Amino acid sequence: MSTRTTRGKTAAMSIAAALALTLTACASDSQGATTTTGGGEVSGEVALLTPIYEGTEGQRLLEDELLPQFYEKYPDVKVTVDYTTYNKLNEKLTTSVASGLIPDVMMMGVGWVEGFAERGVLADLSERGITPESLEGDYSDEIVRAGMWDGDVYAVPIMLDTRFGVARMDLLREAGYDAPPTSWDELLEMSEALTIRAADGTLERTGFDILSLDPRQMFETMLFSAGGDLFTEDLSAPAFNSEAGVDALQFVVDLVHESKVEDIGFSSANADVNPLISGRAAMAITHNSLWTQTEEAAPELLDQLEPFVIQGEAPGMFFGGTLATMAKSSKNPAAAQALLEFLASPGPALAANEQRGNVPALTELLDSDYVKGNRLVQFAMENLDSAKREGGPSQWLEIRAEIKPAVEAALLRQKTPQEALDDLAATAKTAMDR
Amino acid sequence: MTATTARAAMTAADRAANPRTRRARMRKKKSWQSRAILNLLLGIGALTMIVPFLWMVVTSLKSPAELAQFPPTLWPQEWRWSNYSEALRAAPFHLYFRNSLLISVGHTVMTLTLASMAGYALARIPFKGRELIFMSFVAMLMIPTYTKIVPQFLIVKFMPLFGGNDLLGQGGIGWLNSWWALIIPGGLSASAIFLFRQFYLSLPKELEEAARLDGLGEFRIFAQIYTPLIKPAVATVGLLTFQESWNNFLWPLLVTTRDDLRVIQVGLAVFQQLESTSWHYLMAGTTLATIPMVLLFLFCQRYFVEGFTHAGIK
Amino acid sequence: MTDLRAAPSNASRTSDRAAVPRALRSAAPRQSRSGRKMRRAGWLMVAPSIAHIGLWTAIPVIATFALSLTDYNVFSAPRWIGLENYVEIWGDPTFRKATWNTVVYTFWTVPVSMAIAVVIAVALNQKLKLQNWYRAAFFLPQVTATVAIAMVWLWIYNPQQGLLNAALAVVGIPGQAWLADPDWALWGVILVGVWQGIGIKMLIYIAALQNIDESLYEAASIDGASAVRKFFSITLPMLKPATFFVFVISIIGAFQVFDQVYVLTDGGPANSTTMMTYEVYRSAFQNFRMGMASAQSVLLFAFLLVVTLVSRRATRSDAE
Repeated sequence: MSTRTTRGKTAAMSIAAALALTLTACASDSQGATTTTGGGEVSGEVALLTPIYEGTEGQRLLEDELLPQFYEKYPDVKVTVDYTTYNKLNEKLTTSVASGLIPDVMMMGVGWVEGFAERGVLADLSERGITPESLEGDYSDEIVRAGMWDGDVYAVPIMLDTRFGVARMDLLREAGYDAPPTSWDELLEMSEALTIRAADGTLERTGFDILSLDPRQMFETMLFSAGGDLFTEDLSAPAFNSEAGVDALQFVVDLVHESKVEDIGFSSANADVNPLISGRAAMAITHNSLWTQTEEAAPELLDQLEPFVIQGEAPGMFFGGTLATMAKSSKNPAAAQALLEFLASPGPALAANEQRGNVPALTELLDSDYVKGNRLVQFAMENLDSAKREGGPSQWLEIRAEIKPAVEAALLRQKTPQEALDDLAATAKTAMDR
Repeated sequence: MTATTARAAMTAADRAANPRTRRARMRKKKSWQSRAILNLLLGIGALTMIVPFLWMVVTSLKSPAELAQFPPTLWPQEWRWSNYSEALRAAPFHLYFRNSLLISVGHTVMTLTLASMAGYALARIPFKGRELIFMSFVAMLMIPTYTKIVPQFLIVKFMPLFGGNDLLGQGGIGWLNSWWALIIPGGLSASAIFLFRQFYLSLPKELEEAARLDGLGEFRIFAQIYTPLIKPAVATVGLLTFQESWNNFLWPLLVTTRDDLRVIQVGLAVFQQLESTSWHYLMAGTTLATIPMVLLFLFCQRYFVEGFTHAGIK
Repeated sequence: MTDLRAAPSNASRTSDRAAVPRALRSAAPRQSRSGRKMRRAGWLMVAPSIAHIGLWTAIPVIATFALSLTDYNVFSAPRWIGLENYVEIWGDPTFRKATWNTVVYTFWTVPVSMAIAVVIAVALNQKLKLQNWYRAAFFLPQVTATVAIAMVWLWIYNPQQGLLNAALAVVGIPGQAWLADPDWALWGVILVGVWQGIGIKMLIYIAALQNIDESLYEAASIDGASAVRKFFSITLPMLKPATFFVFVISIIGAFQVFDQVYVLTDGGPANSTTMMTYEVYRSAFQNFRMGMASAQSVLLFAFLLVVTLVSRRATRSDAE
């Protein structure tokens, strides 16, 4: 290669690099170039990005019922709503952050807050009067912590998704049990007894279904039940490969391979019908939305659904959910904060939960008619004190994606639970130290 | 059309017409058995292809209670046509439909115009750098969408002099929330140019030489002589472009924040929530979203058989 | 294979001679006066496309190359780190697995669906009563959004209630837990890829078949060539430009397979169906590592470029 072409290429390369960097630098510049106009006045336009309230129903609720109430209180504020889905939330957030056009109020999931707070996208609500102490009375501690990063509040919870055990009491009674299991030993014994196989070994009914929800959430529920934690207290290292974690994973692996309670492929996270509803499972770890699904598909079974906490070393219950956050770069912080507080307040939060069949985060809503009418939601709320969330370090979204393959590798016996979790921990540690 | 060109076209037509009639006679002799076997094989193949759709349609007519049954029913016990009207009410589909239609038509028109011209030039006009341009176009296809999407978004946002932006692209939102962003960036794909090029390549040279002798300009040769000969390719590119924009979801979602600029696939996503999927509505909605594409295909059908031989006579 | 390749050039030479009437052939030399005009027209016709692709694709592609040498998390400006991303990919077993899966997926989907498509296209080029309906049926998988139709496949593959196992049971073959079994999941994804890929390829071949001069078949018939012989010595060679297109576009498409993996398996079980684009997506939008995603894309690009250049060389003589 002659020097001339090399130089030409180098030049082209550097132009390319410069171009790309300018492009992205422009983006970061404008991000910082926000003007804060006197904080006190509550007026102006605020943009809301939300993965909930979608569809005609959700939109009607938000735009015809909730926002008019908000405007009554703040007539000078105008809200524009950008509807998205959870599946594409990250793409929306990424492009808006990259371009510097960050919506004033953003709804995001439990586990998202840490990363976005750490990278300076979210406004520190503690500075604006929403402190851990002010939230403590309204929410249980773990829920408040789901919206915190580094000791400060960055998000206020609106709705929760919970996972716990549910038993079909009609099937349990048939087999001579009159209550759900209260320990791992009982769970194991009952799971085996409730499992039915045809003469040729084909599984017809599983005693305890662990495959209908995402393997990550299933594992986390069992991990919490075993008394384990995802990360160390100071969030410096993974803790899921502790003895408790290995026990939890070993327990489900043995359910499949030793006790033959369920076969791989018998159900899956995207199966069209929950096996509890079709009678193909007697017990399961499942999501509180099972109630609304049953209401739609088989209302006669509602009375038979009995929720239970999977009791091991600790009560095992898992929650995720949707929280409201505010952009640090918001030009109308007062209006944005007003909207955030409004959406998280009892009336609107209850309506949003009711529309989706989810669990309100506010403790006081335990007494609402909606909660009283939905046994699974009521149960979830009554036990929120013992529920644990996912998340922790700011790299959680990255680590989160690695958990499913690791759990699957153990369930398929490609790795022992110890190996699978140790490898996962190594990956997680690398991400956390980066 | 001038004399030489017409003569060349006539020769082409003759060439095609004569064997046609002879072949037709020979075809009659073909035993009906081979025809039956061909039909049988094609029938089985076609059936395999459409089974998933049949299931989709059947599912769209079942009730949630029936969908929860085990073992599943093959045929709906009760035909719930109301799934369709209910699904349509779940989102402002009339608006989404209009938007999808506008975007798809915009993309198709732009692609057909730009790509056919470029494809023609790359195939039939020898000029320096043509090979390099062609290979660069193809190379552009080799970086996945997900990597390109953030830079593309930034170009849209920093589009100078639009949406409140200054000359340097600062200060406003550029093309975001506008039809520009929905139509222009997706209005051309290198694969369309590539396909056109290949089709123009496969045409005989004599037409072009005759036309050039007659003193026709390149644009007229392109528009009046060659392009009518590749109607099947035009139909193919048109159909594929339309279908791709019709089914696009991510880009329209990213570059708009207003619901009145959203598209049909965004509406369908409503049925797939984090906690559960409303299968009956999703399948009803998808069936409805597929129908326009099937109609378009049936409409384009006749252009697929109308190739060289037919066009030559005109 | 060599026979096959030798045949086309013969056939096309014959076709050239047959196609060009003697009078025209002698008139072929072009006037040089129009040469410059012609070149200018050529540039004019490509210019809008160059502008469009230059802005909307070339800049993002160049940015990808540049960003692949940086650490860029979209939250703060990119930081130059040289080849670190590439070094990390080199030691990443998941990306290696993804690369292998992508190669396997491409190896099976592209040739298989191309072969099926060309046979169907030829069959459907005959005058059949149901011709239009057959074509519509084969094209149908192409027109529905992948995300929606992949969900139907989830049911077909369902081990307990799925059509596939039910159909196999009729023939007495034991069913599988298709997508839940790491030995079968990739095949499940490949089958959907083949199924969905046939339509577009068939369509392009049908369109290309219209351009074949029927007199070639006529001449061959007089020589007493069989249908099979005609297919290999006339149809296939004449389809070469179309085949080059279909091959390159299919390879590019297969290397970038995403939607069906996303819906069918989410890359699982235990990463057994993860693909290169899937890892790119995860780096970019789950891990917020745009630099890493760019580096992974550049590798994907390199793979595709090599395959395309090789196939270009192989078909150059005719497909030029």
